[in-house]
Order: sequence, then structure tokens, then C-alpha cells
Amino acid sequence: MVALTINGYSYLVDAPPDTPLLWIIREELRLAGTKYGCGIGLCGSCTVHVNGEAVRSCMVQAGDVEGTSITTIEGLHYADSHPVQQAWVEMQVPQCGYCQSGQIMQAAALIAANPAPSRDEIVEAMDGNLCRCATYSSIVGAVERAAEIAGSEA
Amino acid sequence: MSTTDTQLSRRDFIVRSMATGSGLALGIGFTTGTIPGARAATEAAEAFTPSIWFTMMPNGHTTVHIVKSEMGQHIGTALAQIVADELEVDWQHVTLDYPEGSAENFAVYGLAYTVNSGSVTTEFDRLSRSGAAGRIALVEAGAALLGTDVEDAVAANSRVTDSVSGRSIAYSEILSQTTIERRFAYPDDFRDIPRKDPADYKIIGQSMPAHDIPSKTNGSARYGIDVFIPNMAYGALVLPRARYGAKALSVDDTKAQSIPGYIQAVTVDDSFGKCTGWVVAIAETFPAAMNAAKALEVEWDAGPHGDVSLEGLLTEYRALQADPEMGAPWVDQGDVDGSLANADEVLEAEYTTDMVVHATMEPLNATVHQVGDTWHVHTGTQSTSFARMTLTAYLAHFLGKPAEEIKVVVHQRVLGGGFGGKQDYDEILAAAYCSHQVARPVKLIQTRETTFATSFPRTPTLHKLRGSIQGGAFTAMQHDIVCGYMGPRFSVGKAYGSDWLQLDADDGSGRDIDQWSIGGSDHWYTLANHRVRAINHDQTTWAVQASALRTVSNSYNYFVVESFLDEVAHRLGKDPLDLRLSMLTGEGGSRGIPNAGYEPGTGSDYYMDRLWISLPWPAENSWIPYESATVGGAKRLANVLRVAAGKAGYGKRMPKNHGMGLAVSAAEERQSPTWVAGVAEVSVDPESGEIDLQKLTIAMDMGIAINPVNAVAQIKGAALWGASQVLSERLTVRDGAFEQHNFDTYLPIRLSQVPEIDVEIVESGNHPSGVGEPSSTVVAPAVANAVFNAVGVRMRHMPITADAVKAAIQAT
Repeated sequence: MVALTINGYSYLVDAPPDTPLLWIIREELRLAGTKYGCGIGLCGSCTVHVNGEAVRSCMVQAGDVEGTSITTIEGLHYADSHPVQQAWVEMQVPQCGYCQSGQIMQAAALIAANPAPSRDEIVEAMDGNLCRCATYSSIVGAVERAAEIAGSEA
Repeated sequence: MSTTDTQLSRRDFIVRSMATGSGLALGIGFTTGTIPGARAATEAAEAFTPSIWFTMMPNGHTTVHIVKSEMGQHIGTALAQIVADELEVDWQHVTLDYPEGSAENFAVYGLAYTVNSGSVTTEFDRLSRSGAAGRIALVEAGAALLGTDVEDAVAANSRVTDSVSGRSIAYSEILSQTTIERRFAYPDDFRDIPRKDPADYKIIGQSMPAHDIPSKTNGSARYGIDVFIPNMAYGALVLPRARYGAKALSVDDTKAQSIPGYIQAVTVDDSFGKCTGWVVAIAETFPAAMNAAKALEVEWDAGPHGDVSLEGLLTEYRALQADPEMGAPWVDQGDVDGSLANADEVLEAEYTTDMVVHATMEPLNATVHQVGDTWHVHTGTQSTSFARMTLTAYLAHFLGKPAEEIKVVVHQRVLGGGFGGKQDYDEILAAAYCSHQVARPVKLIQTRETTFATSFPRTPTLHKLRGSIQGGAFTAMQHDIVCGYMGPRFSVGKAYGSDWLQLDADDGSGRDIDQWSIGGSDHWYTLANHRVRAINHDQTTWAVQASALRTVSNSYNYFVVESFLDEVAHRLGKDPLDLRLSMLTGEGGSRGIPNAGYEPGTGSDYYMDRLWISLPWPAENSWIPYESATVGGAKRLANVLRVAAGKAGYGKRMPKNHGMGLAVSAAEERQSPTWVAGVAEVSVDPESGEIDLQKLTIAMDMGIAINPVNAVAQIKGAALWGASQVLSERLTVRDGAFEQHNFDTYLPIRLSQVPEIDVEIVESGNHPSGVGEPSSTVVAPAVANAVFNAVGVRMRHMPITADAVKAAIQAT
């Protein structure tokens, strides 16, 4: 059994504690917005927040994050309208969209920690998130736009 | 009102509402008995179940039915824009749906297959005519209700207005107050339907937000991997070493039995020639299935391809190329042999390209369950039609039942990337077989590692080029291509009695050529003497399971042709831009096809007949656009080249070790070109050989950009795909197995490697063509040409690695 707090809800999951957090989120709790991409922490599709930090949920054992606050794409904003989500729609970033939950969670953690990131800081923070459609050119601009929106909402 | 089938002419395009307030359905009605399911089509129109291309509700809301796959190109939005503009419906009233892949829907919608950057190219014509037909019917009905002449009635924003009195009536009011039955004889009247002048477009050419994007920002988009069926079990693969042809001899699950949740091991029936040697560990959860897969002990016979390696294939390729009797001509124009024999100089070069794979971010997966006699498939696929046909044939095979007794329904999901990589159906077959064995729904998820191991890569290729130089001019070109044809591996067409990917050689010999492995070599340059000899290496086809990858053969053939053209230019002492422009004259076979109303089967063009009419189903079920994307021919290529060169500042002085290179392409196929030019700007470190790709400039003429913001996004994404291929992606095979299994060794481009990209859309107003793939084809040759201009070495292998550049520099 593993006790997890995800998006503000408490879950008791019947799974071995060494189960990757990703598979509990996706297949047990069916919060399927968090995606499986590589399983070795190299693509970023499975990115979630643990206590506000972006982590690769495929690399985290569920037992190690008991007692933390976990956020998935579904819990990022109560109305799906986090500044990053707004910017992503406004800039029409997603193509196939599969990596975008991870991109958005990565970007949200970045602007929470650094409200006005430079281009270089954006590239550095987002470089671990692969996008096979190569929406990269849109992503940099959209992170800048998200920071702007967040600034105006603050 | 009741209409019997016999009251329908053989083919009418019908706009009809059955009763007051019942809404509007549009589609082609067929008489019964000529094609399977024709009765279903007419009944569907009568019953107002989803009809052919769109339906209107009595409240005026319009649903456009999309049988194309959503795999990142936002195709549903683009197709709906085409309908909505001609229909004069308010864009806010337009929604989409995605009919499932069933035998009934195949009869109604035809083939559901998303490839070739062809959706807009092939659908624009019939969708815009359908929208116009709906508008005409609504205007006529609206004019009658307003008591005015049809000539005075105008449609806009879901209303019909009497331009004399100014009185108007909403589409919703028309549909609730009257019935409509308007027929257009098909094809003649349908062809003559008046459509808008492009200058009057209101929705086409606007960057409407894509319908599928919000769901891709909040986690609610449902991909194949996100399907959950009550009581489903999970499957994880155990694979033999050899990519293809192995056979599982024994499975020992002693160790797996101690894993909680483990159910059983299934050896997949592979006598169909798919899923060879696959064993599936079935468990209650996916982690348990993965653990069980590791614990299974399987013995295999490696089969006939267990010792295949890249070096061995290339040795055999060279032997095939050296034998003049091998292969068949794909292009054979003029007197190539005579020209080469009389040349002042013959320029020779060998080019090679490595395998690359799709590596879609969504790993391959399928969920299958049986309910009564019906097999339900949930997956994201590029063809619900082929998925259904393939599974039907497989089930008939292992169940020992006639195919007619098997019903398969494919429930399409959003695709986490396609790129040509979701048109093989192995996961579906294996999930169905496992579901049958455990009598439960089975969700089969491939790990990233097994996704790589079972992938369908682009074939390795070898090219021998010979160019004839005579009197200071380029007079002939011989291009021999050796590769593994993908066509023979696609068995679906054969099941329907057609070698639909196999086309006749150009010499009338009846020998087969696989267009998809050769296309792109039939370039648009005016060159009197030109021959392309295509040679298949059959073992490659099977051993690596050669397949289609974003632009298919265009991705290597344009690399070769455009690099070689620069070699010729440098040898002639001409600027590569000037040489290209002098050869892009649009004469003879490079003139394109005028919009005179192409009729299939008339042989009106050297190439046109080859593709569309070779499809293995009735012509009524396919669609040949009346207009051609090729109109204008090579002149349009010259135009985009001038634009790109100008924007990039081609010809300006470059610092030491910096260079600019250019290339053009008309991918994807000769019948459906999108005219592209690209300029790459690089700097090369002569010590390390590292290439820094600094800027790409792309100019593209796709006729009409349906949704400009999305078009630019597609062009940029495809250009970066090309950059990734030329700079870093490489799949190799050793002892029958692919050597790269994850993103630690297979390296797609990342954000930090992205160059500046400048895109110019050149709208010529001609028939629109696709934008999802073509720009990828110009990047590799433009980079190779830029590297030459930077440091003077000609790189004839793709990818171009730093080590290879360094070695080439040291060799000079």
C-alpha cells in the first residue's frame, strides 16, 4: 500500500512501494494526462510537480513521495487556465500534444521559481523535454508569454 | 417522404432533409449492388446518421465528419474550414467528429488513411464542392421562404439575405420550416458547382484556433495509451533478438509465477507473418506485466535474418548496383548512355543514407476486446481502414472462420505522433490474440525499448550518381538507387487482389517498382537525358521491416539529388543557385498538369495514373480532385527558390568556416507536390568537425494556406525533423537487431539545438497541397551544401556526423 496526495486528494493505492509513480498516476488513478515516453527520465513526458518541483514521475518510486504534495496536469489549475496553459492555447503550441503535459508542467515550475526567465534560462530548463513534432520554436515564445500573463495576474 | 434505392440515379450528390426540422445531410448516393455497403450509404443519408462529409442540425450547427487521423497536423480544423467557408456557416457553429473504422463507414466515407501530406490535397476539392452544394440548397430554400428570387439571395454567417429588401432568414429557421431535396448529378453537375473566388474567402486563410489544442493543454486528450476498459489485463512484450523472422520455441514462466498479478504468458500466433517471435506477459497491472516479461525465459529460433548487419547489406547493395541487369527504370528519358559515352567528363559519386525511425513520443500500443461477435480496437492509427482489414484477415486466419463472419470496429484515438509510424498493426494483432487467449480485454503497451526494437524504419539506401558534362553544360544524369522496397511488405493490398504499391517500370517491361521507395528521384529539373534505375534488395525489406517515414523516399532522394546538383555546379564553375534556376524552366515533363479536369485512367500525364487509380477498391470510393496541385510545374519551384535565397541573403560574404547552402524539393509525390526551397546557414569547427546549424530559411508554395499559423508551425516542425535527421539520428542493425533502444542512443533534436527559422509562405492561389512534411526534405541537402561552402568537403552520407566531417577535412 502507498499513500499519496495528488492534486489535493488523498489516495491509498494497492501497489508495491517501488512502483514508478508514473504508472500509479496513469494506470491506477487514471490521471492519464501524465504520459509515458521513455521510462528513463530522458524525454520529460511524465513530468509532474512534487512539492512544486518538476520531477520525472517515471524515475520516482511511489513509496518515496508519500507525504509530499503531488500535482499533475489535471490539477495544475482549477479551470485549466494556468498562465502556461493560457499561453499554450494562445500561441497554439501543441501539435500531436503527447509531450505537452510534461512541457507545461516543466514550464510552470520554471516560472514559479523564476518569474521572468531569460531565453537562455528557458532553453536550459526545457532542454530535457523532447518534442518529436519539434514545437520548440513555439515553446520558447510561449514560456515568455506565460511569464507575462503570470506577472499581470499577480 | 420515403425514397427507395431504385429512385436514386446511380450516383447523385444529394443535399437532403427528410422532414421539417430534421436537419441536413449531404453525400453521394449510390445504387445498390455495385459496391459493398452502398445500401448503407443511402440509408445513412435517409436516416441522418453521420452522412458523408458533414451534417447540419436543425439548429444550424454543423458537424464535419473527419476520417483523417489527428496526429499533430490539426487536420480536422483545416478540413472544417474548407467546408465552412463555402457553406457560409458561422465558424462558431462548426464542430467535428471522427467516425469509427467499420465496414459500414468504409462504404460511406471510403478509405480512412492519413499519409503523404495528402489530406488537404485530396479533400479540398470534394469538401469545398460539398460546402458549396449545401449553400446552394440553403439559398434556394431560403429564397423561397423569403419570397424572393434565388438570384437576389445571398448567404453569409449562417443566414440567407434578400439583397433587394434586406430581409433575411437564419439557416436554423430554414431547416426548421421546410424540407430540402436538391440533387446534383455526379460527377458532371458536381464538377460544375460554382465555388468562391479565393479573394472572397472568410474562413480559409484565417488562423482559426485548432479544435484539438485545448484538450492537449489540460491532460484531457485521449490517446490510444489512455484507454481503459473494465476488467482489462495488461500485456508487455518479450522479444527475440532478430527484428523479423524469429520463432519462439519454448516459454518457461516459472520465475514469473511468483510476481503478484501475473496471469500468463502468450506466444502470439505469428504464422501470418506479423509479430514474429512475440511472447506477451499478461498481468493485472502494467508494472507487473513488465516485471513478468523480464522474468520469462524464452528460447527462439533466430530465423533467416538473425545475422543481418548494416555493413553486410551495403556490400550486397554495391554488388547489385554493379550489375547492369538488376532493377528497372523508374525514369528513362532521352539518351543517357549516349550522352555519358560522349561526355567531356563524367562526374561520379556514391551516396549512402542510414536508417532512421519515427520514435513517436507515444509508444506503440493497442487495446482490444471482444463483445459478442464484434472485436473492438482502441488505438491511434493512421488508417482505421487498414487496421480493420488487417485484423479481420488475421482473426479469420487464427480463428479458422470466414472473414465475412468477423466484425471489427476500430475506435480511433488521438495519435501521439504519426510520421508514417502508425500504419503497421502488429500491436493490434497481438492484443487481439492475447485477448482471445485470456478471454479478457487486453491493453498492450510497448515500452520505449520494445517500440524501438519492433520499429519500421526507413530503409538504408545506396546511390550511384553519374553526371555527364559536355561543352561546359550538364547534359545527362544516371541515378541508381538500391534499397529495401517497402511495398512488398504491405500485405493488405494483396489481400484485396492488388499490388497497390507496386507500379510498372518506365520501360513497358511490366517489371515492378515501388514508388514509395523511389519517389523524389524524379525531380522537376529540365534535363533531356535522365535515368533512374531502381533496385530492390529484398532481404532489407524483410529483415529491417522497411517502411514509410515522413516524406518516405523523398527524404533521401532529395538529399542525394540536391547534393549532386551542387557537385555539378561547382564542377561547371557555376553558382548552384544559377544552375538550378537555369534548369527549373517548367518545360516538357516539368510543366505540371493544367487544371483542365483530370480524368483518371486517361493517361493524361506521365505520372498521374500511377498512384491513385491503383488503389484496391472501387473508384467511387476514392476521390480524384478535378484540379491539380502540379499546375505551374517547375516554375513554381524556381519562384520559391528565388524567395528563399533572397530572404536568406544568399551570396553575401560569409566569415571563415561559415557557409550557406540551398536546396529545393517538390515533396511529397510527383502527383501532389508542395514546392519548397530551403537555405541553411552553418558554421563548422574544422578541428572537431562539429556543425553548428545557425539558421534555416524556408519558402513554400502550397497554393493556398488554409490555416497560416498552423502551416508555419508545421513547416518549422518538419524543417527541424529534417535537421534532426541530417545531424544526429541514426538507427543501425547488427545480428538482425536494431542497436538503439531509447533516447540515450537515438538522438532526436532538442530545444538547445534549434536554429533560427525564417518561413515565407508563397500563396500562388493554386490547388492547395500539404504542409506537414515537405519542408523536411530540403534541410539535409541544404546543410550538406552549406558544409561544402564552409569548409570545402562534400559529405555524401546521411547523417553527417562531426567525426565524418573531421575525417573529410583531414583527408583534403
